[in-house]
Amino acid sequence: MTLALTGHAVARGIAIGRCHLVERNELDIGEYRIGVDEVEREIQRYRNAVEAARRQLEELAGRVIQNVGIGAGEIIQTHVLMLGDSKLQDSTEQHIRREFCNAEWALQMQLEQILSEFRSLDDAYIRSRGEDVAQVVRLIQNKLNEEAADKPFENMPDRLADTLVISSELTPGELAILHERGVGGIVTEHGGPHSHTAILASSFGIPAVMGVRRAQALLREGETLVLDGGLGVVYADPDEAIHSHYHQVQRITRRFKKSLEAIRDLPASSLDGQLISLQANAERPAELQLAREQGANGIGLYRTEFLYLQGAPPEEEDQLAEFASAIELLGGIPLTIRTLDLGADKSTDYLDFSQLRRCTNPALGLRAVRLCLRDTDLFKTQLRAILRASALGPVRCLIPMLTSVQEIRMVRFLLDEAREELDARSMAYDPDMPIGGMIEVPAAALAIIELAPHLDFISVGTNDLLQYALAADRVDEQVAHLYDPQHPGVVRLLRYIFREANASRIPATVCGEVAGDRQYTRLLLALGLKDFSMHPGRLLEVKQVVRETDIPKAKAALTRWFNTTSTETGSSLLKVIDDSQRSG
Amino acid sequence: MIAADVIIVNKLGLHARAASRLVNCASGFAAEIEIVRGTRSVNAKSIMGVLTLAAALGTELVIEADGPDEQQALEAVVALFQDRFGEDE
Repeated sequence: MTLALTGHAVARGIAIGRCHLVERNELDIGEYRIGVDEVEREIQRYRNAVEAARRQLEELAGRVIQNVGIGAGEIIQTHVLMLGDSKLQDSTEQHIRREFCNAEWALQMQLEQILSEFRSLDDAYIRSRGEDVAQVVRLIQNKLNEEAADKPFENMPDRLADTLVISSELTPGELAILHERGVGGIVTEHGGPHSHTAILASSFGIPAVMGVRRAQALLREGETLVLDGGLGVVYADPDEAIHSHYHQVQRITRRFKKSLEAIRDLPASSLDGQLISLQANAERPAELQLAREQGANGIGLYRTEFLYLQGAPPEEEDQLAEFASAIELLGGIPLTIRTLDLGADKSTDYLDFSQLRRCTNPALGLRAVRLCLRDTDLFKTQLRAILRASALGPVRCLIPMLTSVQEIRMVRFLLDEAREELDARSMAYDPDMPIGGMIEVPAAALAIIELAPHLDFISVGTNDLLQYALAADRVDEQVAHLYDPQHPGVVRLLRYIFREANASRIPATVCGEVAGDRQYTRLLLALGLKDFSMHPGRLLEVKQVVRETDIPKAKAALTRWFNTTSTETGSSLLKVIDDSQRSG
Repeated sequence: MIAADVIIVNKLGLHARAASRLVNCASGFAAEIEIVRGTRSVNAKSIMGVLTLAAALGTELVIEADGPDEQQALEAVVALFQDRFGEDE
């Protein structure tokens, strides 16, 4: 008979496979006295254990960043920071010195104090960070007792492709190891949706159900399990109906993934034969690599803010080195470098506090090109680095948040100065490097005719443009429902931008989130867009829609929608365009 | 000692990833850096300290820096807050 166990639905997906129960060995933490002359040795033993734990986690974090991405790796790096946190390390050492006790016990005492601090917090997410501290402490305690240590992977097969792993709990680090072995799915008795293990499972794409009570006792080693991570259910001994239902869901998902793989090397051409350019938004090496693998036509948005968040502003040479390694990774496809888009007032007088407080609305304040035009030394350093990069490969320069022609003139003036400075130093650059503007300010969008003669291309930053046009912050839950790319005003604004850019003969790209959201692909094609830039993980999905779209039909549907929208406000534009593709 | 006011503008507040970036940034300076929320104050180089501030979207904080490189330290930390810790939201 089918047994269904429920828990927190933490990571979507279906897994069908063999049950493997992890044998965990709870360390018994006891207290014992040490002699006065043994204190320094005990502290050294403690430091060695922390060091061993750090090495293990750093190595793992490095592999995860390489193979999965920076976000996932940072979760493991959080544990590295906790290992060396003065709150844990200094107070544990003080405890050993004061109480003449063993390191395991001193650590346990600190843990309990830190946990009580976390438990008193109202925020459920932050409260569950106490689990992370407990996991870090347990890792150190295990390193202090290598013989008695918990070795969850000892009896586990190396390949786990058709295996569902059941454990009382799992740390993010352990999950990363299971991921490397290709685990099919995971079930844990403890841990909730806010745990880092849950967040990581979701970014690894491992179906997971957590907080399943007595899972270890109720499930049997080797039996067949079906796990639905979206529903938060695991079925043991599933009956025929459940089995065939989930097999079919799995088949459909696999077929979708395979259909994407099949078009990897095919062109992004529409049914009516138009070739569409698909570019990627990327800056980290792993993303640049992915962009190439997925066949991106270029990098449409390379952000540079990360260079500025490491203390001092980056030197020209540091920036050039980053750009050069990106160009090398890209192997000849064009790189569009966006100049600094920070909102901070970083000019030298920025510590004038009255002025800092005046910046009450960062979205409308001194940011992006506005900031750069004020701190021209900072800006020219970056322009010189970008110019020098243009000698190494196809590079375009993109200026964020342009509002007026006057700003473009100032940027061009500074570019001329930067070129002269490079000439004086006999440095090479591409004299024809294209200069583009990001269209995010609604007034700039409506002034394309005036801006276009001064620009070589435009890139529409739909995230900010929509936010400004709709006067709604999409991350404010109370007004997020107003953030609607299908709003007739937004659709008209976009149509105007593409139409006027086309009339002015300058190419237009969209680099906001809608460019990578396949449900908007046809709408953008109908509006006349021919160049998309998106997260590299979305390239194939969007390409698939492009290849299944007849653009003239979509355009006709859009025109019809504009003509009838006043009478039929309820009809969804996306549906109207999709329907147009089915009619003969 | 110098100080600056900041408001948390990223949606998730000082969650683990943002806190990690803050601790990494602060740890690069010699100056002592404290983050003050109301009557509580924590060391910006301690991940556990920063997390227990439980600072959500809209929380007002004061950053204090004291030491030889306090100016650069304060600039870097304030920039990190205003850039939403490098997150899109």
